[in-house]
Amino acid sequence: MHNARSHEFMTRAVEALHDETLRTALGRAKDGFVLKRRLAFDALPEYEQLRDRSVAIKNHTLEHLDHYLERYEQAVIRQGGQVHWAENAEDAQRIVVEICRKAGAKSVTKGKSMVGEEVGVNAALEAAGMEVVETDLGEYIIQLAGEPPSHIIAPAVHKTKGQISDLFHEHHAKYGLTKRLTEIPDIVNEARQVLRQKYLDADVGITGANFLIAETGSNIIVTNEGNGDLTNTLPRVHIVTAGIEKVVPTLEDATTLLRLLARSATGQQITSYTTLSTGPRREADFDGPEAYHVVLVDNGRSAMLRDEFREMLRCIRCGACMNHCPVYGAIGGHAYGWVYPGPMGSVLTPLTIGLREAKDLPNACTLNGRCAEVCPVRIPLPDLLRTLRHRQFQHHIGTRRARWALGLWSWLARRPGLYHGITRWQARALKWLSGRTGRLKAVPLAGHWFKGGRVLPAPQGETFMDAWRRREKQS
Amino acid sequence: MSAARDKILARIRTGLGRGTLPRESREALDARLDGAFKPDEPLRPRLPDKPLAALFRERLESVAGTLQTLHGEPYIPGAVATYHASRQVTGPIAVAPSLQDLDWSATGLEPRFGRSHGEELLCVSRAFCAIAETGTLVLLSGPENPTTLNFLPDHHLVVLDAADVVSHIEDAWARIRTRDADWPRTVNLITGPSRTADVEQTIQLGAHGPRSLHVLLINSPRRS
Repeated sequence: MHNARSHEFMTRAVEALHDETLRTALGRAKDGFVLKRRLAFDALPEYEQLRDRSVAIKNHTLEHLDHYLERYEQAVIRQGGQVHWAENAEDAQRIVVEICRKAGAKSVTKGKSMVGEEVGVNAALEAAGMEVVETDLGEYIIQLAGEPPSHIIAPAVHKTKGQISDLFHEHHAKYGLTKRLTEIPDIVNEARQVLRQKYLDADVGITGANFLIAETGSNIIVTNEGNGDLTNTLPRVHIVTAGIEKVVPTLEDATTLLRLLARSATGQQITSYTTLSTGPRREADFDGPEAYHVVLVDNGRSAMLRDEFREMLRCIRCGACMNHCPVYGAIGGHAYGWVYPGPMGSVLTPLTIGLREAKDLPNACTLNGRCAEVCPVRIPLPDLLRTLRHRQFQHHIGTRRARWALGLWSWLARRPGLYHGITRWQARALKWLSGRTGRLKAVPLAGHWFKGGRVLPAPQGETFMDAWRRREKQS
Repeated sequence: MSAARDKILARIRTGLGRGTLPRESREALDARLDGAFKPDEPLRPRLPDKPLAALFRERLESVAGTLQTLHGEPYIPGAVATYHASRQVTGPIAVAPSLQDLDWSATGLEPRFGRSHGEELLCVSRAFCAIAETGTLVLLSGPENPTTLNFLPDHHLVVLDAADVVSHIEDAWARIRTRDADWPRTVNLITGPSRTADVEQTIQLGAHGPRSLHVLLINSPRRS
């Protein structure tokens, strides 16, 4: 049960490439993210060591995941909270709806939660007749637009100020706010004003978790807006939705990861708010929720433990991989068709919704390796994408033509003499075809690739091996 | 326990290629969890060689927080009143019950001691400690220090004792663990005012939480 549109990747990627507004928005965001991250790590000489530690912490936890989840559960219960286990998205939806129903909830506020997006919490609550309001400004904007997030830390990164202003104009009239806004401070202030009342009226607040702490039974969320804190403090009930891989043993372990998280994501040393919630309010407290629930979501994660995809479970959802990905930078997040875009999404999406549904994602990658270079927990994303390509070939997923071409290439590559002969001929032929321009606008049998005006620089007429031999002789 | 729980745990063990951990392994993991065994000392970023309070101030100011030093707790109400006037705030203010014993009578303010319901534009809380590494205030929830004070006002003032500035994040955890009370419902690490960059990556302060964060650092002159 998911509304994935990953099978439409090719069509939507082409549409995105022709969307000038989107390209402006993405260009602006990308440069900012890349620069801020670099400056943050330039100022942290311990960066590489912290990465090693983080990898070790995550690997240790995953190797003993059953134990740490049990300890975490015990700690939550000791603090007066309740833990629910969801095998899949349907389970998670049912559990959340049930808690809200039992609480007599009419209105639910949400802090940003990628797991919430993954399991489709909003749709389930709305179907049960409850009002659901996203409170992270980016999430609120895309909720008004009826769109999924296009970036895991900046969900509305694809929207321009003008588009947001239009959305507010359309949706805020019912609150008596009819002025069309043109300045960013006014846009933020109007959202603040509208959402303030939602926080105060909400019966249940749902947040995600960046970390679950086995030692204390706490969940940690990191935010900049403070929306997560209003969501987990004001309503009567606080629900945390979290993937089972979010648990770490101690606060010290979480701290090591925290030092990398904000720097990788936004270039901050630490976000404005890092908040630990542990159980419901204590007896003498004046505020805080009366009940605290955690929904631990598996949804395909436990199956990833058995092979190389265990490495993907180290992911702390910082978004650095997509910020440094040329493919994401060109097409944005929506073309990927589900909640997780970019390199991490191209690994997670096929594993969660199926290799066939998401068959284009592992191929939407140039294997340039920048994602792996910037990943704070050293996930070998290009290797994992290659493994997925391999699996696709084994399962006969993909077009017959691609399969035929790969088969032919592999046959040829195993016959070096023939390979060299043919590539030598091919290099010459392509050079001849390009004429004096040195550029190819069409190639026999590959007409499709050149559709829409793509141009390919022509080979120089000599293979690498030949050029190497020639230079050896000359020197 | 639920069937889903058992299934998930069983699937995890299958994925890891083993059964339930033997008792010795579980004991070793629990020792790591309780802090009795540390695999590695935490890797703490090296900090510039300067007093912790000065470093805290520098890093707080780098994220748009402000700070003023007071030479004793009796000066707190007056400083709050001055700040209140400078920001042209009207209406009542909410103050943490931990500051109720101070003399607020001369300030002309109407302090309400307790939680906030969102009517007050200015709230005053007391920090448990602060972290020099990141310019972060650490606030613990409790009847003396309600969490709503930290997020509902436009202006958040926080009282911090200079002796409570620790160097790294780990030192704050150690302090919370060793205090003479249960683990609090909420621990807030606050580093500057609320901000968002969700509209065209442009940083805007005061997204949902406070628009300004002001620290009153209490540095009592030493008595010999």
